[in-house]
Amino acid sequence: MNKTWKLIRTIVKMQFSLAGKSTSEQIGYAFLFIFAIPFSIFIFYAINGIVGGLYTILEPAGNESFILGLLFISMFVVLILVSVGSILSSFYFAEDIESFLSLPYHPFQIMLGKSAVPFITLYVTNAAILAPGLIVFGLHSGSGVLYYIYALILWTVTPVLPFVLTAIIVMYGMRFLNLSKNKDRMKIFAGLFTFIFIIGINIVLRTNNSSADTGEDLARLIQEQNGLLNTITTFFPTAYLHSISLTDPASARGFLFLVLSLLIIACAFALYLTAGQKIYFKGVLGLSGGSKKKFDEEKITKRIKQSNVLFISWVREMRTIFRTPTFFTQIIVQSLVFPVLFIVVILFDSSGGDFSISSLGAMVEEIEPKRFILAMTGFTVFALGINPASISSVSRDGKSWFNHLYMPIKAETVIMSKVWAAFCINLLTLLVIGAVAFIFVNIPIGIGVIWFGLSLIINWITSVAGTTLDLYTPNLQWTDEREVFKGRLIGILALIIEVVVFGSIILFLWNVDWLEGLWMTSSILTAAFILLSFVCHLILRKVIRTQYYSIHQ
Amino acid sequence: MIDIQQVTKEFSGKIAVENLSLTVDDGKIFGFLGPNGAGKSTTIKLITGILPIEQGKITINGFDITEHPLEAKKRIGYVPDRSDVFLRLKGIEYLNFIADVYDVPTDIRKKRIEYYAKSFGIYESLNDHILTYSHGMRQKIVISGVLLHEPEVWILDEPLTGLDPKSSYTLKEMMREHANKGNIVFFSTHVLEVVEQLCDEVAIINNGHIEFLGNMSEMKQQFQDEDNLEKVFLELTQNE
Repeated sequence: MNKTWKLIRTIVKMQFSLAGKSTSEQIGYAFLFIFAIPFSIFIFYAINGIVGGLYTILEPAGNESFILGLLFISMFVVLILVSVGSILSSFYFAEDIESFLSLPYHPFQIMLGKSAVPFITLYVTNAAILAPGLIVFGLHSGSGVLYYIYALILWTVTPVLPFVLTAIIVMYGMRFLNLSKNKDRMKIFAGLFTFIFIIGINIVLRTNNSSADTGEDLARLIQEQNGLLNTITTFFPTAYLHSISLTDPASARGFLFLVLSLLIIACAFALYLTAGQKIYFKGVLGLSGGSKKKFDEEKITKRIKQSNVLFISWVREMRTIFRTPTFFTQIIVQSLVFPVLFIVVILFDSSGGDFSISSLGAMVEEIEPKRFILAMTGFTVFALGINPASISSVSRDGKSWFNHLYMPIKAETVIMSKVWAAFCINLLTLLVIGAVAFIFVNIPIGIGVIWFGLSLIINWITSVAGTTLDLYTPNLQWTDEREVFKGRLIGILALIIEVVVFGSIILFLWNVDWLEGLWMTSSILTAAFILLSFVCHLILRKVIRTQYYSIHQ
Repeated sequence: MIDIQQVTKEFSGKIAVENLSLTVDDGKIFGFLGPNGAGKSTTIKLITGILPIEQGKITINGFDITEHPLEAKKRIGYVPDRSDVFLRLKGIEYLNFIADVYDVPTDIRKKRIEYYAKSFGIYESLNDHILTYSHGMRQKIVISGVLLHEPEVWILDEPLTGLDPKSSYTLKEMMREHANKGNIVFFSTHVLEVVEQLCDEVAIINNGHIEFLGNMSEMKQQFQDEDNLEKVFLELTQNE
């Protein structure tokens, strides 16, 4: 047990150590911590509002247990969703997994070690949602000390069941998947799955109009005591046990249900250890093995051809982004989230709100062209603002950065290949938004073409600006690609700078009376943006001179 | 010719290399020896332009690495001690990229890629991602890339680490052949037998200073009491 504990401590220490992290990263974490305080106060008030409201309605018929049931079930679902990703990355995809395999540990011990960090993530989620929920319920029901003791016990054990169930299912699944061949592809699918999940939830929320039938059912269920709880906890027996035990902690039934809950969780944990011992290694072993493909000499010969250095460097950047799962999800998928959500908002806004096709269409006809083009330009700045490809341009190379330095390629060529890569990836976002604007919102062709032209310049500026920022404060000392994006404020910083700069131009033009008409506005915008891109290039050139050869030292 | 004149390099106040001067003439295999942390890799990084030079001057075949970096780098073929280069590229994509960087025409690169990849036994793996290569294979693909433009100066940082005996032999043969054509091979190593076997000249560096510089016969004369290079090395690099 002592050995297992030491392993867990080492893994946690490795994951959360600030050693080797740059000052800017450390400042980033400090900022995140500071932002978390007002955010948690906000969550507490939000939960207080919901629980308080429900309590007033449900308490008269003895249905207040429904609130706890709902809380535990939502927690169960949230914890499972959080677990899937963290279990996959910690158990199977982490680069350090192989270094543990050779150590004299049982599979279940390594699995416990690898569970520590995902578990901590779950407790953070648990502390953010369930803890205030339980406290607020206690305050509204005026419960005594016993309630809070039970609540603390149940809060502590809540993450165990969703985590171990997910882990068992994941381990069982991975046992049969041939990971050694598809490790990268699996990661890409996991990223795409998250993307589809976000979009899917959005579609469901937007199309799901509350129907009258649901209201009637609800009214009936409210009449019987614990009726609601029985209904919603059919598939979640522990949520039922937890809720009853907390609603009536002083009774024998309350105590019995608490013990029963703990027993179920203990059994699940034992099952988890057994499953880990039996199947964990079967999915892990062979992770790093290569696959033997058939050799095709003709294919090799065909690929050998001369190209321009800037072009081939750009190709190398694009290949790296598309082939590295973390870069693919953080850059390609992230760039598509905003425009696709935009489509969902427009297409599925069934209530005819501000962003429905009809209102947007009407807006196009009503609004004067000057303001319309300014508004669209502002929208593009937001859509392209974060530009994850540009703010990771330099950091993506990590410790291999030095390879650029001994080759006879100009620093400007290497950096421009990165700017072009960021520009082309953002072009995807632009094309999706453009297609929506033309097909669904019926934007006049003239305005559309001008907007697209302006957007290309904005895209170029954000690509240059992001790359400059990353070259100025790169993170090259990473061991896991996720560190290129995690805990860095560079994305927000880039967005803030761009919003301030572009925003001032747009706001100024919006408010001046002498400027009227589409052509004049767009000419001035074009001139301003070209000037801006020129300034950006000057800054980039200066940063290349000071940073290019010194950042890896 | 590699000409290093009075080069000093500091890292946040700590001196890595101090007042280093040495010259390597054409047609020579030059062995660069020293214990871990002695300043070997720093010197190599200064020669190849990876680290900027704050004091002193380095020229490669007449081109100053600081004043004319591109001209100097075009003459160098560098094999780093870490072979994790562009891991997400396929072997063939990497070689093609390197050939583009060094302007190797298509017909010549075809022949050379085939020749070097076959010599090192990695030809059939060229269509796989470098990420899936073993350490030795990565080393071989980097060496093949370096040789594609037939550079006048080879600079190799621990080139034999991780190579199997056959590839190690092939590389040593290539190094000899390259020097015989009037080119320079400059390499660092910990394997003293290789130095004895291959090198025309040797430098031993310790704590950022050159402790010995000369050819093998000079070394033998200077250290008559010592019967082999290992003992000379240990004597020169003892810090106390």
